[in-house]
Amino acid sequence: MNLDWLDAFLISGLFFVVMVIGLALLLHLQLGLARIANFGVVGFWGIGMYSFGVLFVQVDWTIPEPWPFLISVAFGTLVAGVSGLLVGWLIADLDTDGVLVGTLGFATAVFILATTEQELTGGALGLGGLGFPYDIGTVKANEALWLVILTVVVGLILYYVHRVHRTPYGRLLVALGDNEPLARSLGKATYQRKLWLFAFSSAGMGLLGAMNGVMERFLATSNIGIEITLAAIVGLVLGGTARVWGGVVGVVLAVGFFDIIVQSYLPLPQEWYTQAVPVFREMIFGAVLVAVLMFRPYGVLGDMRRDKLIRSLHGS
Amino acid sequence: MEFIGDSLVIGLTEHAPLVLAAMGFFLLYRLTGLINVAYSETVTLGAYFGMWMNTTFDLGFYTVLLPAGILAGLVSVATYFLIFRPARARNVGALELIIISLGLSVFLRHALQFVFGYPVRFYDVPPPDTINVLGVGVGSFRMLALAMVLLAALGLYYFIQRTNLGLQIRALASDEGLAEVSGIRPLLVTVLIWFVAGVAGGLAGAFYGVGSSVAPLLGWRQFLLILLVVLVGGARSIRGVIFTGLATGIALAAMSLQFAQVLYAQLVLIVAFVIILKIRGNPLADTVKV
Repeated sequence: MNLDWLDAFLISGLFFVVMVIGLALLLHLQLGLARIANFGVVGFWGIGMYSFGVLFVQVDWTIPEPWPFLISVAFGTLVAGVSGLLVGWLIADLDTDGVLVGTLGFATAVFILATTEQELTGGALGLGGLGFPYDIGTVKANEALWLVILTVVVGLILYYVHRVHRTPYGRLLVALGDNEPLARSLGKATYQRKLWLFAFSSAGMGLLGAMNGVMERFLATSNIGIEITLAAIVGLVLGGTARVWGGVVGVVLAVGFFDIIVQSYLPLPQEWYTQAVPVFREMIFGAVLVAVLMFRPYGVLGDMRRDKLIRSLHGS
Repeated sequence: MEFIGDSLVIGLTEHAPLVLAAMGFFLLYRLTGLINVAYSETVTLGAYFGMWMNTTFDLGFYTVLLPAGILAGLVSVATYFLIFRPARARNVGALELIIISLGLSVFLRHALQFVFGYPVRFYDVPPPDTINVLGVGVGSFRMLALAMVLLAALGLYYFIQRTNLGLQIRALASDEGLAEVSGIRPLLVTVLIWFVAGVAGGLAGAFYGVGSSVAPLLGWRQFLLILLVVLVGGARSIRGVIFTGLATGIALAAMSLQFAQVLYAQLVLIVAFVIILKIRGNPLADTVKV
């Protein structure tokens, strides 16, 4: 297949945008519906990426491909899910302050472990040896196919989130976020619901982290900073935390603008791309969070149209 | 015995700025009920202001210390007037306020790089004099930081518990409506708190900066510990924050001496503090207003 028309920067830019859309969708379940303020998205994403990478690289596999790859991806997802269960248990009955501490603390713990456990993770030097589970010719073709696979995975997440909005489970999550004591007084198992929601959405974040590790082919602690969490939060808040498509629209507008338009199409001086553009990008992301929550708290798409949803459910 | 002495001396002197920063954060949290993530940038800016005056005007560290704190205090007040006061007037929710403060934190952290430059900066100071305390050599800046923390702790405690203005602050934190009808001017008291908190954070930042280097992530790297010290120690009063801050410093030093990796000490503390919060909950959150 001739992929000359496809720029390598464009592939990596699109990959990042699609991946952050996936994170924003999962964050929408936690923050937008259940109002669990996960400020440690990068922790679950990072532990998925590192668990996958460490198992894949450090184990002397004797079984044929692609089993080592698939087992490692499943392991990364599982570790992120179990971490979500543990962190969820710690924070499920805490207030927003406690949730902030718990999730931020988890992200910091993952960073510390990735830095200090040098024999496993490579520490600050990083860990190489990752690769695609296939070879269809060129690096560009492999990356393009991996982008397609990621898009399918994120499409499935979008479909799931869309379905959740239309189920009693989704309405329970909204009730839980609006008034948890009331939901509990009505006999709903709020604690368990929050716990499992947090565990499963964290596992999803871990899966996206593992897929990112394949694309990067190199694990570095510099990749697990707050920038990932920030990109997901900015995308979700900009699009609208309560809407299914909020994360999609917001991430395309914010991350897409900087990582695709600015990176690939704006004729800026080359030296700006090393420091000025990334710093300016984060600065604008911060300003967007402040401005949107002050002046348009429901984001670009506005509030959840629950009246329309209820009409469609009841057919009137 | 030597280990205990080393832990005490290193912990108290090296982590004294943590106590100072936590005291400032506690005041803000106690009054507003807000987890202000942008407080980490108040700490960072204190370090940058001090470094800038030190390297631009060739002033000594002791000379720039107070102006750096005052400038950080003014920035803190400015954020209140430009962001948090209008947000409160718009009835922005508690969770959204935290996200706003995160946005402000990220904005300031990156904007300051356009002002002060991208590279890591350093104070231009002569090597500090070394003072022998229980057999451990301690730099004069660190001894000053410890002395300042003790002074600030006493001063703040006296200010909050014994002065009329402190009484007004406590009244405002407990019941704003009642405080207002009692003749307390909420705006004046609130501005004062934001300023004092900013000065404390700025001074802590200057001490952090002169002890190592000045970088955009300076305050952010301390933020989680500051937050944990306040949430775990601040359930009762500022005394709890001071005690927990000092104990945290000593524990960090003790574990750093034991473990091969300094970061393990932080990891153990984070886990321990989160478990304490899980078991005990956060009583402070029930008493403050949003």
